[in-house]
Amino acid sequence: MEDAIIKIKGMMCSHCEKTIYDAVMSVNGVTKASANFKKGEVKVSFDTSITDLETIKKAIASTGYEVIEEGEACPVPIKPAVIRYEAKDRGKDGGLKKTSIKITGMTCASCAQNIEKALGKIEGVVKASVNFSFEKASIEYDSAQVAPAAFENAITSLGYGVAKNEITLKIGGMHCASCASNIEKALLNTRGITSANVSFPLEQAKMVYDPEVIQISEIKKVIEGVGYTASEKTGKTDADREQRAREEEIKRQKINFIIALALAIPISLGDMGRNLGWGFVPEIFKNDYLLFILATIVMLFPGRQFFEGTYRGLKHGMTDMNLLIATGTGAAYIISAAATFLDLGEAYKHTYYDTAALLIMFIVLGRYLEALTKGKTSEAIRKLMGLAAKTARIVVNGEEKEIPVEDVKVNDIVVVRPGEKIPVDGRVVDGLTAIDESMITGESIPVEKTAGSEVIGATMNKTGMIKFQATKVGADTALSQIIKLVEDAQTRKAPIQKLADIVAGHFILAVHVLALLTFFFWFFIGYEYFDVPTTFRIMGEMATPTSPFLFSLLISITVLIISCPCAVGLATPIAIMVGTGKGAENGILIKGGEVLEKAQKLDTIVFDKTGTLTKGEPALTDVIAVKGTENEVLRAAAIAEKGSEHPLGEAILKGAKDRGIDVPDAEEFTALPGRGVEVKYGGKKVLIGTRKLMTEYGMDITPHSGRLLELEHEGKTAMLVALDNEIAGIIAVADTLKENSAEAVRELHNMGFSVAMITGDNRRTADAIAKQVGIDRVLSEVLPEDKAAEIKKLQAEGKKVAMVGDGINDAPALVQSDVGIAIGSGTDVAIESAQIVLIKNDVRDVAKSIRLSRLTLSKIKQNLFWAFFYNTVGIPIAAGILYPFTSPPFLLNPALAAAAMAASSVTVTMNTLLMKRIKLQR
Amino acid sequence: MEKKLGIYSVLASLATSIVIMLLFYILAMQKVSANPAEYKSVDVYAGMVYVFILSMIVSASIWPGIIEKRLKKPRF
Repeated sequence: MEDAIIKIKGMMCSHCEKTIYDAVMSVNGVTKASANFKKGEVKVSFDTSITDLETIKKAIASTGYEVIEEGEACPVPIKPAVIRYEAKDRGKDGGLKKTSIKITGMTCASCAQNIEKALGKIEGVVKASVNFSFEKASIEYDSAQVAPAAFENAITSLGYGVAKNEITLKIGGMHCASCASNIEKALLNTRGITSANVSFPLEQAKMVYDPEVIQISEIKKVIEGVGYTASEKTGKTDADREQRAREEEIKRQKINFIIALALAIPISLGDMGRNLGWGFVPEIFKNDYLLFILATIVMLFPGRQFFEGTYRGLKHGMTDMNLLIATGTGAAYIISAAATFLDLGEAYKHTYYDTAALLIMFIVLGRYLEALTKGKTSEAIRKLMGLAAKTARIVVNGEEKEIPVEDVKVNDIVVVRPGEKIPVDGRVVDGLTAIDESMITGESIPVEKTAGSEVIGATMNKTGMIKFQATKVGADTALSQIIKLVEDAQTRKAPIQKLADIVAGHFILAVHVLALLTFFFWFFIGYEYFDVPTTFRIMGEMATPTSPFLFSLLISITVLIISCPCAVGLATPIAIMVGTGKGAENGILIKGGEVLEKAQKLDTIVFDKTGTLTKGEPALTDVIAVKGTENEVLRAAAIAEKGSEHPLGEAILKGAKDRGIDVPDAEEFTALPGRGVEVKYGGKKVLIGTRKLMTEYGMDITPHSGRLLELEHEGKTAMLVALDNEIAGIIAVADTLKENSAEAVRELHNMGFSVAMITGDNRRTADAIAKQVGIDRVLSEVLPEDKAAEIKKLQAEGKKVAMVGDGINDAPALVQSDVGIAIGSGTDVAIESAQIVLIKNDVRDVAKSIRLSRLTLSKIKQNLFWAFFYNTVGIPIAAGILYPFTSPPFLLNPALAAAAMAASSVTVTMNTLLMKRIKLQR
Repeated sequence: MEKKLGIYSVLASLATSIVIMLLFYILAMQKVSANPAEYKSVDVYAGMVYVFILSMIVSASIWPGIIEKRLKKPRF
């Protein structure tokens, strides 16, 4: 056997570590490996009779990383920008395109060559050149074969970074999911934009762009070019601005609806009164010219938005929901106007002003309700934004000064009185108080804070005045991070949305084709075949003769009107928005829609032990007196450990203090490394330590062996206490379980999960802890670097694994698992690596987060089902499919179709909002 | 290229819509002659306008993508 350390170039993250680890372990003869990206090395143990160092190095080189030979300079790893690629792997349009990518992490010309080679190997790349000095790759590629996202993947997979900028713009003027899809298409067709995600409900576009190729102002122009408005988000004021914009939209649609309603009533009475011979309707209302004037007002004011939207879209070759409405209402209006002013014959005496007016009234009502409900879906983010304090009181030259919260700097001393909000994150330097952190952690009981305690910005100071030192301000505060995380999650699409996006993207076109086919069918076949004139005369529904054109036109209009791409487009994003928002309110941060889907498939939950299931710090558990009382034994042990800095000693001292035992200082203190401590106090010799220590001092420990073993079987560290060379008692210390660990595991079992625990502890200790919490499977004696490999083994057994952890050493396992869940009190690295973050330090939230994921996904499925069901049933009915099978023949009224269309998207939104009422607790 | 794309798209869409409209006209005129009691020439002309508008909407959505692909195709 031989051990070796191999230095490697280009490792940047835990993913790189995993790649290297996998490559090394795949070599026959390698028994153990651990890669460390920070050190840029991998430690390998291998059997020299089976393999050699060169073979291992070749295996590493085959992954794209470079092995540094002795004497060669090691590159300084540069943290790559975190990029998530949303663009499809393959382009659609075809044709040669050029792009340039700014690269980070190159340290020498060979890095440039490596990247060049990797890029050149990608199918579809015609030419790739990497300039080391400019840190830039220029690529010529066939967009039909490959998309820019593939280049970035190739570069990052080699361990280099891609310098990219991310920006989120507020978008105005979107009316349906097709609008979002139009903007996305326009952005993705723009050079310099690698990925674009447009959220219709959030009214935001998030994109990754290359600042060297395109400027923000140009991106805005692209969006404006397709008929929408774009503005940069400006942080804190966004909440107010969004609120104002939403209120304006609600007000606008309300006025539109009132006008449409006020005019639609007399128009309908007049038009229907004349056609159906209603005598109670005053004659003036039946006048064609008056009806024309009233209908024109409806078209010009409440209806104008649809025509303007259509014009804007068509100008840029885009079609959206407005076009459907404009075509339908426009056709009804024009044919009625023609009948009013032209003599088109007997069949054309009939006017359809009521149809046009009612269509607009119902659709405007739908938009009004949608504006009202849409505001509620983004409530969570608004609430979070609204939590931030506006001002802070800081100490300047010994005096308190109130300043805007944006001006607080790190290390400023901030004063907070009872009843005031904590303005930024910090550490208490003076004072004692209780702080309500429920708005951030969801924990309802106020948390006590003294000097040294951490405080979170936006939480409420309840009882006392405190002074704290600001540690995180501005965008770095916990609140800002949470808002960013939730916003990111809400703009990220779930895989299930792909289908909805495809449908919504082609919906308008498909509906127009259907409307055209419907028109052809009824004009050439249906009208004669089903003998429409006779049927209607028998029914006595038509006072005036009908015509094949008018009959077919009305059915065709109904098809256009009833179709609702909004419901399809809204189904997924709105559920993700409400779901992630609800999570944020409960202290659960879910990083996007993809996680929700993965969480459904989980069957195994693996908990890290220390710090996750246990408190992560030892505590006194047992005191057994052999001679004297328990308190006397504990006092002696505490005196002995008072000078010790060992965590076990601290636990004993704390245990004694908790029991109110006075612990004086010892007279002489001698640490006996690996065995224990010897002190003198009150003329007596006190010993505390292992069996070996007591045996060395000539004491017989045989009578106590049974008890010691028993404690050790329970996962505790047992120590003997002796006074003047006589065993006085046994003290046991253990890392204790968190209060809720057993309940959390029980809950997960009830939900049908298999629960495992992963720990570096020995089998006996691990089994003892597992037994206490009721865990089925224990993965013990696992080195920190091997945790990911253990997760991989579980996955190889066909299990879908969620890993719950908190430490840096858990990060690779969190990445390896199907869903990584980090406890919020954990390290930043763990939180970065995880897909779900539990802000509260409560493992019961694991079950809650899975329940929330299930709930959100089920809402998405329900919404999609209803949206597709509505359209697949509604469109054929509107096209007259029931006409031949019903007696009297059934045809859907266009006004009813408009009402149904308006109701469909409102129903999807309302159904999603029901989620807010559901409790996540069992 | 943008300009070319725009012109070609409009021309292709117009051509397609006119063809569909003419098809409608031919079929509709047959109906008029076969059943003059129900099918009037005003139905035909109004129908032509409606068919032309819908065809324009459909073809204007389809042609730009096809033409863009053709224009971008490298000519090796």
